[in-house]
Amino acid sequence: MKRIVATLMFSLVMGGFLFAAGATEAPATDKPVTIKVANYAILEGGYEPFWKGVKTGFETRYPNITIEWVSAPYGEIVNQVVNMAGGGDKVDVLFGEIDWVPGLVDAGLAAPVKDILPVAFVNDFYPDVLKSFEVDGTPYGVPLYVSPYVLYYNKDLFKQAGLDPMKPPKTYDEMLGYAAKLSLLKDANGNKVYAFGQTTASVPVSGASLNAMVFNFGGQVLDAQGKLAVDNQGFKDAFTMLQQLDAKGYNPQNAKLKDLRNLFALGQLAMYYDQSWGFNGVKSINPAAKDFTASAEPLKGGAGNGESLLQAHCFILMDNGTAQKAAVSKFVEYVISEEVLSGYLRDLTPAYPAKKSMAAMESVANNGILKGASPAAGRVRVQTFIPKISALNLELASLAQAVTVGKQDLASSIEKFKATATVKISQ
Amino acid sequence: MKTKQLSRLRRDTYFSLFLDTPALLLTVFFIIVPIVDSVIKSFQTFKLRNIISKKPGIWNDFANYLYLFKTDEFTSATIHTFIFVVGVVLVQFVLAMLLALILNSNIRGARFMRSIMMTPWVVPTVISALIWMWLFQPQYGLVKYLVSVVTGGNVGDFAILNNPSTALSGVGIAALWKQIPLMTLLLLAGLQNVPSDISEAAMIDGAGKLRRFLSIILPYLSPVIKVSVSMAIIENFKQFPLFWTMTGGGPNNATTTLAVLSYREAFVGMNLGAGAAITTLWMGMMILVIFLYNRAFRIQDMQ
Repeated sequence: MKRIVATLMFSLVMGGFLFAAGATEAPATDKPVTIKVANYAILEGGYEPFWKGVKTGFETRYPNITIEWVSAPYGEIVNQVVNMAGGGDKVDVLFGEIDWVPGLVDAGLAAPVKDILPVAFVNDFYPDVLKSFEVDGTPYGVPLYVSPYVLYYNKDLFKQAGLDPMKPPKTYDEMLGYAAKLSLLKDANGNKVYAFGQTTASVPVSGASLNAMVFNFGGQVLDAQGKLAVDNQGFKDAFTMLQQLDAKGYNPQNAKLKDLRNLFALGQLAMYYDQSWGFNGVKSINPAAKDFTASAEPLKGGAGNGESLLQAHCFILMDNGTAQKAAVSKFVEYVISEEVLSGYLRDLTPAYPAKKSMAAMESVANNGILKGASPAAGRVRVQTFIPKISALNLELASLAQAVTVGKQDLASSIEKFKATATVKISQ
Repeated sequence: MKTKQLSRLRRDTYFSLFLDTPALLLTVFFIIVPIVDSVIKSFQTFKLRNIISKKPGIWNDFANYLYLFKTDEFTSATIHTFIFVVGVVLVQFVLAMLLALILNSNIRGARFMRSIMMTPWVVPTVISALIWMWLFQPQYGLVKYLVSVVTGGNVGDFAILNNPSTALSGVGIAALWKQIPLMTLLLLAGLQNVPSDISEAAMIDGAGKLRRFLSIILPYLSPVIKVSVSMAIIENFKQFPLFWTMTGGGPNNATTTLAVLSYREAFVGMNLGAGAAITTLWMGMMILVIFLYNRAFRIQDMQ
């Protein structure tokens, strides 16, 4: 009897599990459209209110369309989107970085923007900017705003070092002169002040920033065909400069961008390269940072003209059928508009508009933080997209670490980088 | 009578099989099938596109395995993994044994110490990593400050995670902080089961503390030691969150272990086939290590 009862109980429990696991919602008909927007920023305190406002504003304007956020931390959002798609649940939009585009195109997830967005809307983007999103001549993403890597500097520290805060350095040589004075400073707690910050940590975005530094020196990492092309003086000069900065103790070693933002916000870093929207991170650590922060153009080094790499926060779109595509189009057009982005670019994320019709936006034209870096917006270079761009960027970060904290010889480190990177991007 | 007994035996067998079924199903579907699937994919060109389009991978003549040996990354990651496992497990065993002996000696406050000692074990691994990252932070970390104070200001730039020759040790310290409590608890439980009469008899016969430890306590503890050290080997062999959070495999790949390399290939390089090849070799190494360990440390029959 006991066994019979045990067996029945057991079967009931297991049946319950199976029922729970197998239960599915009945397919809906005539329901309003719900679009899934994958967005890491919804988890970040500085950006959450903006994106909640976007949802409220959009759903008020389009009552039949509901936004469902798919969230994961910055470093995991792409995996989240891929895993969902692998399970048959493809998101409609991914808010992300320009560097994520080639991988998602290679995965067969990103859809050509012209398949989803109206031609007039797409044609309003600056052609060079849109070109940065092209894979085989077809754009696969649209930027909300763009920026080169800009040089942020601390005006107060410049004053303390006897430097003119209205005259930031224009070349790497000038910067080294400034750095010699700035590195003698201590903060209020007696901590060392680092003169110059260039991220070199083991994350892909550090590699992208290093790529921008190579452009500063007139060098390149990839040629137009996406082949590794580092046998150029600009590439060597950039990593020689990193070695020099490390040897003099000017650059915080092995730092992520968020570490640099932290140090800058606390007055322990005098100058550093960041995406323009990195200032939001600085401001969230120290709201008073807006009083001492100014921006400057990327530095010119060697035979280079201070060109930089275009960075963008963008929407990467996915094709989930006609109804979803129409809703996605409305969502993208709603967000990438002066109405929505004006306050965002003024108060949260200093950056440059990507659309011609938004060029005269008051919030950009009068942005005090970005004023100094404005001429750099016209000196960005398009990086050739390859599916393995993130792996390549990690290798660039490893090279930077080898010649700085690793104290290895530059020539042999570059040879090792070439051997490894060639294998990585060819696989 | 015999027929009735047989019938009962058969019923018992069916009933136990029935009770085992869920565990077997879970093992097959959530452990065996994914392992077999991963091994199969390690021989294929299998990328994200295959997952999205639901197209099967294509046999690629061992290209994923050959790819691993085109650079020195795999060899280097294997060496880092073994150094980390051996270092952490050895130090962990010695410190955990010392702590267990101390806690077993009825010193004052032993019960209190036992309670607070477990705290690191219950902290999630990623949180442990973040705590240690902040402690080791090179500009304003507590460890940097303490080193500066202890050395009278002579070492003012201590940054264990930024130096390729010390970064592995930095992650090892975080691993030890997290893992020592469990091993201590297991060894303490074993110590409390060592019969005191044998130890007392040995003492009467003139055996010193070291002799009693080596000849009585250790043999009695050997089953517990074997299990706890096996667990530590496996835990550290597959250690990923500490590395990924604290160093991301850097600096200069000094902390790129097989776990980190596998993740990088699969999810940064988006080459799932190569990631699976690393995982397959890694799993093979782990099985081999545990097999050799079990062979070397056969439980001595206390009878």
